[in-house]
Amino acid sequence: MSRRYDSRTTIFSPEGRLYQVEYAMEAIGNAGSAIGILATDGVVLVGEKKVTSKLLQTSKSTEKMYKIDDHLACAVAGIMSDANILINTARVQAQRYTFAYQEPMPVEQLVQSLCDTKQGYTQFGGLRPFGVSFLFAGWDSNFGFQLYMSDPSGNYSGWKAAAIGANNQAAQSMLKQDYKEDVGREEAVQLALKVLSKTMDSTSLTADKLELAEIFLLPSGEVKYQVCSSEGLTKLLVKSGVTQPSAESA
Amino acid sequence: MECVFGLVGDGFAVIVADTSAVHSILVHKSNEDKIMILDSHKLLGVSGEAGDRAQFTEYIQKNVHLYQFRNGIALTTAAAANFTRGELATALRKNPYFVNILLAGYEKDIGPSLYYIDYIATLHKIDKGAFGYGSYFALSLMDRHYHSGMSLAEAIDLVDKCITEIRSRLVVAPPNFLIKIVDKDGAKEFAWRESISQA
Amino acid sequence: MEFPKDKTKISKEDIIASLFDFMEYLFNVVLFLMSKLLASQTVKKIIEINPYMIGTMAGGAADCQFWHRNLGIKCRLHELANKRRISVTGASKLLANILYSYRGMGLSVGTMIAGWDETGPGLYYVDSEGGRLKGKRFSVGSGSPYAYAVLDSGYRFDLSIEEAAELARRAIYHATFRDGASGGVASVYYVGPDGWKKLSGDDVGELHYKYHPVVTSSVEQEMAEAPVA
Repeated sequence: MSRRYDSRTTIFSPEGRLYQVEYAMEAIGNAGSAIGILATDGVVLVGEKKVTSKLLQTSKSTEKMYKIDDHLACAVAGIMSDANILINTARVQAQRYTFAYQEPMPVEQLVQSLCDTKQGYTQFGGLRPFGVSFLFAGWDSNFGFQLYMSDPSGNYSGWKAAAIGANNQAAQSMLKQDYKEDVGREEAVQLALKVLSKTMDSTSLTADKLELAEIFLLPSGEVKYQVCSSEGLTKLLVKSGVTQPSAESA
Repeated sequence: MECVFGLVGDGFAVIVADTSAVHSILVHKSNEDKIMILDSHKLLGVSGEAGDRAQFTEYIQKNVHLYQFRNGIALTTAAAANFTRGELATALRKNPYFVNILLAGYEKDIGPSLYYIDYIATLHKIDKGAFGYGSYFALSLMDRHYHSGMSLAEAIDLVDKCITEIRSRLVVAPPNFLIKIVDKDGAKEFAWRESISQA
Repeated sequence: MEFPKDKTKISKEDIIASLFDFMEYLFNVVLFLMSKLLASQTVKKIIEINPYMIGTMAGGAADCQFWHRNLGIKCRLHELANKRRISVTGASKLLANILYSYRGMGLSVGTMIAGWDETGPGLYYVDSEGGRLKGKRFSVGSGSPYAYAVLDSGYRFDLSIEEAAELARRAIYHATFRDGASGGVASVYYVGPDGWKKLSGDDVGELHYKYHPVVTSSVEQEMAEAPVA
């Protein structure tokens, strides 16, 4: 039945659904997950890298975290080739804004402009939607630290803690259970690692399967985007007790 | 001839403009408002060709409003000044607007600020500035008497000094002036300085 | 100085209009218009945008006529779309925006839009340089400075319609007297709550004799017959 409606993005099914958009969301459900948590002094993004083969050389830089502007970064879940296109347009948008106003682009405006692009691909003929969900973390002078989540339909919303990718529903409900108001960045990292360790498919959580990025303010007032090193991650994992040192490191 | 000048004081910025609408030797009107209220906390004092002045300032005003509607936040004075400069620069090599602009604004955390934008899209952040023939008098007078942290009374006194000097030394001096200010409470008309009234 | 009575050349024309606000309860708009004599002498120099709004013409006659008629169409369409007459503010802005969009392309229009709308009387000056001014009285055209001087000297806010009309007529007359490029018929229009009305249309040559009646003076010296040589 649905065959008639799911081959085109621009047509509603009789039940009022857009199948292609739903399929795109489905695709993201298989991707490595990412968690974002808003803290009082910053925003934390944690992502799970899927190591598909032992032979695969994992990227020296980040695979799931991308800096969009000095005050803004995102975590990705979904088809990376699609994400690259969107990240590029996001970076261009941010620079265009700075060119016009000589000021950093407000976080929500950046998110909205990107979601406008995403939405366009769910409506205009012959195109498929972007198979990407994002977590955006940023700071602006109007609303301080912010965390947003967006999906392939072009919907976005602001969150205190959010999860995308594989098992995102389980992660989201765990976050809902364990999230405390007014947490600092350190606690937020602990919570994110804990949730990720429980929702990940792989049995052990190790530094090479993880990515951690933070956005916070330096004492000078400058916004800082910082990616945690592999060594730093290992220490964090031991500290939070989510890793079993015996399993692989032995 | 046209005179627009302004300065930044303690907690406020003031813009003054003549109110003459002149065509060759004729004064068509002596109560023309050349200081637009851009949004709740911004003033745009403009000199230049009549048509360009109306069209360009309105274009900027509408875009500033559009930004507010779209994003739910107001542009900062700096952002508005840079945007205005950008629009002027884009138009410069196509169909230039002959307008010289003083943009004053107030932000809660930054306080008052004043920007100078001329018709060839030069942008400066200043604490006092002037355009037109009146600038020859206003600039030096403000250089002499301006100091940072002027009170409103001091600033208006200086403004009146400038107006008096322009009226007495400038051969084509406009008779009437309009003073507007912007402070924490917003942008508003402050006073008229009229030496002839138009019934 | 003798007034050139039979100028037929169509060059610059003078149209001078002015508006007066009267007592607050009786807002009336008076528009003074002087149209230069044309070959036909009957060419309308005022476009009737609607029964409540008129426009004056100065500059290029064709440009004025065309864009005023164009404005008339736009005003009617506005009326049909919105079930109410367009405001004078709106109409003048429509025209100013059009003229601004053609700026630098050679249009020559100097006009006043006078009318009555929901807010009462309105008068705007609009030109092809993109200028648009709201005001109580204007004068446009080559003779306008002469007219301004007379107009300003006799203007009061509480002028009656008759007084205002006469002041305007004289302003036009004096303008045509001093300005070589002005002449023809001085038409006076008035716009009130019930629309516009033409009050008069006088040949300025005749006005000259009205304002300066010929006084027969006694002959001081008869010309003597030349003595026959």
